[in-house]
Amino acid sequence: MASCAVRGGCPSDYVAVSIAIFSMISLIVRTTFPFLIHKVPSAKRSAFWIPVIQIIASFNFLLSIAMAINFLKYKKSHWWLSCYVWAVWFEGPLGFGLLISCRIAQAFQLYYVFVKRRLPPIRSHMFLPLILLPWVAGAAFIHEKKPLNYRCHLGTHWIIPVVSLHTLYVAVLMGFTGAIRHIEFRFDELRDLWQGILVSASLIGVWVSAYILNEIHDDILWLQVVSRFMLLFTASILVLVFFSISISQPLLSQISLRKREPIELKTMGQALGIPDSGLLLHREEAVDVDPNEPLDKLLLNKRFRQSFMAFADSCLAGESVHFFDEVHELGKIPIDDPVRRIYMARHIINKYIIAGAAMEVNISHRIRQEILTTTDLTHPDLFTNALNELIQLVKMNLAKDYWSSMYFIEFKEEARMRCCGQEMEEMTGYDFSPRLSSVHASDDPFHQDHFPRGFTQDNHASYSH
Amino acid sequence: MVEQLGFVALVKLVEVSEEHSNDFLNFDLRAFCVGRLSKNRQHTEADTEENAQTAEIERRIEQETKAEKHIQKLLLLGAGESGKSTIFKQIKLLFQTGFDEAELKSYVSVIDANIYQTIKILYDGSKEFAQNDVDSSKYVLSSENQVIGEKLSEIGSRLDYPRLDKELAEEIGNLWKDSAIQETYARGNELQVPDCTHYFMESLQRLSDANYVPTKEDVLYARVRTTGVVEIQFSPVGENKKSGEVYRLFDVGGQRNERRKWIHLFEGVTAVIFCAAINEYDQTLFEDEQKNRMMETKELFDWVLKQPCFEKTSFMLFLNKFDIFEKKVLNVPLNVCEWFKDYQPVSTGKQEIEHAYEFIKKKFEELYFQSTAPDRVDRVFKVYRTTALDQKVVKKTFKLVDETLRRRNLFEAGLL
Repeated sequence: MASCAVRGGCPSDYVAVSIAIFSMISLIVRTTFPFLIHKVPSAKRSAFWIPVIQIIASFNFLLSIAMAINFLKYKKSHWWLSCYVWAVWFEGPLGFGLLISCRIAQAFQLYYVFVKRRLPPIRSHMFLPLILLPWVAGAAFIHEKKPLNYRCHLGTHWIIPVVSLHTLYVAVLMGFTGAIRHIEFRFDELRDLWQGILVSASLIGVWVSAYILNEIHDDILWLQVVSRFMLLFTASILVLVFFSISISQPLLSQISLRKREPIELKTMGQALGIPDSGLLLHREEAVDVDPNEPLDKLLLNKRFRQSFMAFADSCLAGESVHFFDEVHELGKIPIDDPVRRIYMARHIINKYIIAGAAMEVNISHRIRQEILTTTDLTHPDLFTNALNELIQLVKMNLAKDYWSSMYFIEFKEEARMRCCGQEMEEMTGYDFSPRLSSVHASDDPFHQDHFPRGFTQDNHASYSH
Repeated sequence: MVEQLGFVALVKLVEVSEEHSNDFLNFDLRAFCVGRLSKNRQHTEADTEENAQTAEIERRIEQETKAEKHIQKLLLLGAGESGKSTIFKQIKLLFQTGFDEAELKSYVSVIDANIYQTIKILYDGSKEFAQNDVDSSKYVLSSENQVIGEKLSEIGSRLDYPRLDKELAEEIGNLWKDSAIQETYARGNELQVPDCTHYFMESLQRLSDANYVPTKEDVLYARVRTTGVVEIQFSPVGENKKSGEVYRLFDVGGQRNERRKWIHLFEGVTAVIFCAAINEYDQTLFEDEQKNRMMETKELFDWVLKQPCFEKTSFMLFLNKFDIFEKKVLNVPLNVCEWFKDYQPVSTGKQEIEHAYEFIKKKFEELYFQSTAPDRVDRVFKVYRTTALDQKVVKKTFKLVDETLRRRNLFEAGLL
């Protein structure tokens, strides 16, 4: 007993280590499961990296506790097995510090977006290293001074600053979370944060008591073994509880391991509960569409918008119409519901405005900057200038071709059929747009091909005999 | 007729479309056919005409497949505002039926929009310079013009522009003649002032006529930012009226977000016509005012050259907007652009213009050879000096392009 308490290798130690391994495995499974089984596309940017960093940090933390506090019997001859590497570097900057910093980065983003209603001034990938600096500085300082004894314990004098650094970070996290406690988040962000705080606070509590016990009762061997076991055990459980996929994208957060409901929500509009989002209801009247009316008025009609969107997609110019659609959805959220407006605005910005976005729209630099540096994400006219520019663009590029395309003809047919209550006749002719020939539609491919005005009519006639 | 297509024929269509390397072009057809397959199952029995029609369809499909192989695919690539759509319009004018009256009239709203947007950019620009510049007094307008300016700026931010009438034309004309606006225009490279500004501002009286019908020249000058992809098919009929090659020309948007769509067009391209506006060496991008346009063109050209699909594709580099370049290069030195920082002017006047042009051409040629792997060195690369607005120049240039491509075809077929 005496030897195992000092040099490691007690049965309780092996139990603790296996619990730690088990918890790491469950953590990894829990993170990758949604991606592998439900085949959700991995999110980009900080939404993806922050959970990954959290897993790595959790692993480092558990490993550091296992290695530093004499759990296993091994020779400590190599430099990489030294105390400083594990108890100082892996526990601090790469373990606990990193874990808390990820949460602080998340809270900081949420604070900026929902309380200040602006996009955060510093991106996460720069903010995270920045707030990790005190940890790195502290670790370097301790490494210089080398106060650890042969059993990897800090003296009482050193414990105080180290524990205060840990507590400070938890306090900062509490501060940011407290500032956003009154916001009604949609996707459990606040719950995740409080969970994180609770967990990290208890962990520090356990840790402090274990260290104090270790220090004061250095000679009581069973206390050493027990406190060691408790440290690793609690760390394992709490690392698992601490972590969750903490992003505010509804698609991923809706996925749970239990798969309670089928995944129905396809758009942000639906996830936010915007009425009639993404649905084509019967009560949408079949308005008689007049090409002379301004395009932006016509686009307010959902059926027309869907038809025009399909046409624009076929010409590879669909993002502008999708943008119009989502800004229209944003307009349906009442002004006195800033939280939902912010979610939707952020979603639109990430999808359409940011350079390199999935469906980036063709707007000028000034208008893009206006949106990205806005001081009020809930402003009703946030996207008005961009929308105007894009409607101009669409008008000048697509409107004329749309009126002579099959999409419009089908739209008119549908409207006529619906209003006359008949079964829809099957449309003859291919889906053809004069802008991009999906089919080489001429009868005689060796002659010169023009696309004169009456072409679609001719085409239609020639195939409907 | 499609309704009567037999099951077998539909399957054939799907097979044919899958053979085509350009997935995108036949996407709709495939989707349509696949959709139809399920609906038509109930029609397969008991239609004796079906066999005859199936044979007819199969014949057409074979014809079409053969025809597709003869069509040469040309892509117009380049950064934003490099002149691609103007070349596209010129090709339409030269080798297709040209613009009829209805189409010309449809450009009236475009030209109006250009005028309102331009005057708004200039007016807002003058206000910005007046605020920020050291020598602010020269950007301050006279008080009546300020009133006009505010009114026009408001019109310019609307969604629907009013038709240009005599009154508005006069107001715009007065504002244009104001020295503050002229000073702002002189610094137009710092704003996003379109190249057609001078042309339209000097013709306001003509454009505001109640019965105005745009001329071909007006249509060529009109600026429309392209989004998505447009295509035409044409055949440059030779002088001896022998039927020439059939070309399918694709025009695309040049801004950064539009480039992600280019990839759909990259398969099976005979030639890329890369447009580079050589007058833009002192301007910044529309979509990113921190980036120099010439540097962007340089990087884009490099990227296009390295595309794996273009291993055997001919490259025609159009160094465009020579007319504007001529006037600019004598006043604004080339070294303001980082790529041309080693340029030394040698003389003045026409000689200098030629020297500067040759310098830029050499830079592009160097870039071409740097970006071309040794196994691709034998692909065709030609540089042309163009002014897309000048029909004669475009016609001549295209004739050279056509000849080059025909020669290359014969070479590929082993006949040369």
